[in-house]
Amino acid sequence: MSDNSGHHDVNYKKIYFTLLFLLVVSVVGPEFGVLWVTLVTAFGVALVKAYLVIENFMHLRWEKKIMKWMLTSSLIVMALMFFGISPDVMKHEGRNWVNEAAIAATERGIAGHAEGEAVEEAVEVVEAEPGVFNAQAQYNLACATCHGQQGMGDGAAAAALNPPPADFTTPEFWAERDRDRIYTVIHDGAAAVGGSPLMVAWQNTYSNEQIEALTDYVMGFQPE
Amino acid sequence: MADTAVQVEHDHHGADAHHGPTGILKYIWSTDHKIIGMQYLFTGMFMALIGGYMAYVFRMQLAFPGISVPGFGQVSPGEYNSLITNHGSIMIFWVAMPVLIAAFGNFLIPLMIGADDMVFPRINRLSYQIFLISALILLASLFVEGGGFGGAWTSYPPLSAVAEYNLTNLGSTLWLTAVALEFVAFLLGGINFIVTLMNSRAPGMKAYDIPLTAWMIVIASVLFMLSVGPLMAGAVMLLFDQTLGTGFYDPARGGDPILWQHLFWFFGHPEVYVVLLPAIGFVIDITATFARKKVFGYKIMLYTAVATAVLSFFVWAHHQFVAGIDPRMANVFTITTLLISVPIAELLFVMIATLYGGSIRLTTPMLWALGFISTFLLGGVTGIFLGASGADIYLHDTYFVLAHFHYTFFPIAIIGTFAAFTYWFPKMFGRMMDERLGKIHFWGTIIPFNTIFIPLFMLGGIGQHRRIYNFEHFPDLAEPWMFTLRQIATISLVIMLLFQLVFFYNVIKSWISGKKSGDNPWKANTLEWTTVSPPPHGNWPPDELPKVYRGPYEYSHPDREEDYWPQNEPA
Amino acid sequence: MSHAKPIATLRSATGIPTGRLAVWWVLASEVVIFGGLIAAYLMHRLGHPEWGDAAAVTNTMIGTANTFVLLTSSFTAVLAHQAAEHGDGKKAAKYLLFTIGGALTFVCIKSYEWWYEISHGYTITSNTFWSFYYTMAGLHALHVIAGAIIMGVVALDAYRGRELQRVELIGIYWHFVDVVWIFLFPLLYIAK
Repeated sequence: MSDNSGHHDVNYKKIYFTLLFLLVVSVVGPEFGVLWVTLVTAFGVALVKAYLVIENFMHLRWEKKIMKWMLTSSLIVMALMFFGISPDVMKHEGRNWVNEAAIAATERGIAGHAEGEAVEEAVEVVEAEPGVFNAQAQYNLACATCHGQQGMGDGAAAAALNPPPADFTTPEFWAERDRDRIYTVIHDGAAAVGGSPLMVAWQNTYSNEQIEALTDYVMGFQPE
Repeated sequence: MADTAVQVEHDHHGADAHHGPTGILKYIWSTDHKIIGMQYLFTGMFMALIGGYMAYVFRMQLAFPGISVPGFGQVSPGEYNSLITNHGSIMIFWVAMPVLIAAFGNFLIPLMIGADDMVFPRINRLSYQIFLISALILLASLFVEGGGFGGAWTSYPPLSAVAEYNLTNLGSTLWLTAVALEFVAFLLGGINFIVTLMNSRAPGMKAYDIPLTAWMIVIASVLFMLSVGPLMAGAVMLLFDQTLGTGFYDPARGGDPILWQHLFWFFGHPEVYVVLLPAIGFVIDITATFARKKVFGYKIMLYTAVATAVLSFFVWAHHQFVAGIDPRMANVFTITTLLISVPIAELLFVMIATLYGGSIRLTTPMLWALGFISTFLLGGVTGIFLGASGADIYLHDTYFVLAHFHYTFFPIAIIGTFAAFTYWFPKMFGRMMDERLGKIHFWGTIIPFNTIFIPLFMLGGIGQHRRIYNFEHFPDLAEPWMFTLRQIATISLVIMLLFQLVFFYNVIKSWISGKKSGDNPWKANTLEWTTVSPPPHGNWPPDELPKVYRGPYEYSHPDREEDYWPQNEPA
Repeated sequence: MSHAKPIATLRSATGIPTGRLAVWWVLASEVVIFGGLIAAYLMHRLGHPEWGDAAAVTNTMIGTANTFVLLTSSFTAVLAHQAAEHGDGKKAAKYLLFTIGGALTFVCIKSYEWWYEISHGYTITSNTFWSFYYTMAGLHALHVIAGAIIMGVVALDAYRGRELQRVELIGIYWHFVDVVWIFLFPLLYIAK
């Protein structure tokens, strides 16, 4: 025996047909191609439909105030979350920074776009395709912290290290090192060839082929 | 004011016809809130042992780098990361939350409001089962190939999203699944607590007659429920990144790793108040009982707790001051973070004011309560340094942060638990704990606690970074005196862990042969003390459920000879 | 084993029956979960106008059909509630069955839609728009399926004249599932 959800006088059929009518409006609206019409019909209608369902089908209209407060709190929390987080996520540049990857992604468009614009990579984009080993990406991730993105031994952590990380761009570095040596140091760690234990072994992280790719990449820093 | 009309339908026969399972099944399949509370308590305490063991191992490595840790062996860098990650995750999600909220909430709320059980006993059981499964999955993650997840309890992508980076393909997915399931368990449990408190109060129990412990647990449940949603969504997205190769957090594919940080901390900050509020509830109830004095400001505490909960939604980005957020945003969050210290300090002031002029009994629970107030105060004030974004630029990611949050979490999760456990042990088991052993345990815990973390504050102040496996690799951080401090901290930890043996001995001894406690050994007012210790199934005989005539803190009332006045005694 | 309700369940200090109070709280938590996912999507969508190309692929006609199905199922759900209020368990069960039918229809249409899109190369990893698309619609579909199952149990009880108050409760949940779709529909299908 329900106590306060008594027999409400709601014409459910009328609400239902209103909802269907609104559905038609929301589908037809975008056909006009006018942005504000689309937004109003699509989202405005959604709001109205939701309101009708919530008030009349869910009987929130007759529910105790505390529940309305509670549901409103949920929505406020959502709004707070959206407005608090979106400035960080939606903006792709600020006064002193640029989210290059995001901007490049935007310019690139979606692959397979009908107009097939040439993919103009104005910026070195590191595409993390699953399954494809990208030596540059891995270097930037694992090595650049010490050796620097340009291989100059000036990575963020370099200052704290003694001995400092190698600078791959000087002729002195390459005077006594060949490709095999580079491969060995990456694979077994520098201590294995009498160098600093700070350069650890990567054989447990990368396969031999991957280390070959990384070696090639490091070779690329060699000055002409 | 919520009206207290009680609607008891003609279903009385249900209550005494239902006997519940018997025998060993009773402890596994029961829907009785007290048993479910015990299940959470023991699971949580077991997980605490594991989390504590992990701390022991990695602290040994830090204090004596390269050592073969007794009981573990040599710690590799990957293992170190996994230990610190799982230590943090376990302590927060599988110790603090189940013990403070689910164990004590389940056991106490129906008793404190004069009900015979939670409103949804079977969902209650289900929530424990889901919780247990989440704990088992988490433990399993430690033993799979690659080992347990090592990306820190904050699990930032891309480290956590890409197996090539975190090297724990299976471990990271299991970890994330365990966390998500734990959230589901607490969402379900929370609904039980909230609805039970709102609806199932004893006749005559108005909103302001509810003990603060019950209020705090329910406010915490609401706070949890409202803040965890976005992270649930984010966790699903991270899971897909891990397992399906989606790019939700990959900027090259249109995603954003900062989004995870925001989603995580949008929940993560309210979460610390989710665990704080119950601990405060326990401490204030214990303080009132053992000061024989009314709570200085019941309504102040209640509204301040709500204010804290609301404000906690506005401070989250103080975890991201140096993550590259807009400095103007950092401004805003500095202000809100410093503001939130006000209501929390207010709560502590009310506790102190309650003590003032009271007739204080230094029983073991009271010692724990006093220990909470003093240590949490220190933890709280150190948070002020971190909340100011300027100072945080230096202090972020140093041991200063770590010492700050241990000076808050430890009082909450450990001291708060011991306070509640020693206070309600007589009700749960019908026996008194040994006071002398209790005091030894107390001092043997709280003194080492301070000597663990004060050195860490000092080390943080000189810039020692977090999540470093071996400080010998950093010459500036490898001075001998720094290692001395690390060793002091580590040895203190070992001492503290050893003193926990006193606690376990006390528990077992008291359970077996402790003095019988009777219904109300502490002469307290709240309803749980009006029934037998331990309470039977149904808590009171079905037609003798209590009625309430006054608030919960009528101690030392001038019109009374006795210095306490149970809520259910007619005027 | 049949489980008798504790007295706690039957009390109502707020005046709202316990079951309904609980369902509202469940909805409050679902609002923040779905809301979190939708807000995350919105942030990305607004910052990535190029996603419009991917969004153009979604089939508005199918989306409309599904919206129609869900709206109708909400209608039958509320009719079930009306019947339950009048104490007519069998009629309530009948309308609940229609609602479940709507749920199944929804799932079938969605399966076809997804099969079509996946076989044309638009998978969850194609790009982040599609990741969001499948995740949001998938989470919603999971709730549809879960709701249909629970509704089946309630319908069975109602047919036997038992626990009629649960018809309203599963209805409230069902309407929520409908409301989520009311917002997903323009987000994923109309606003291109």
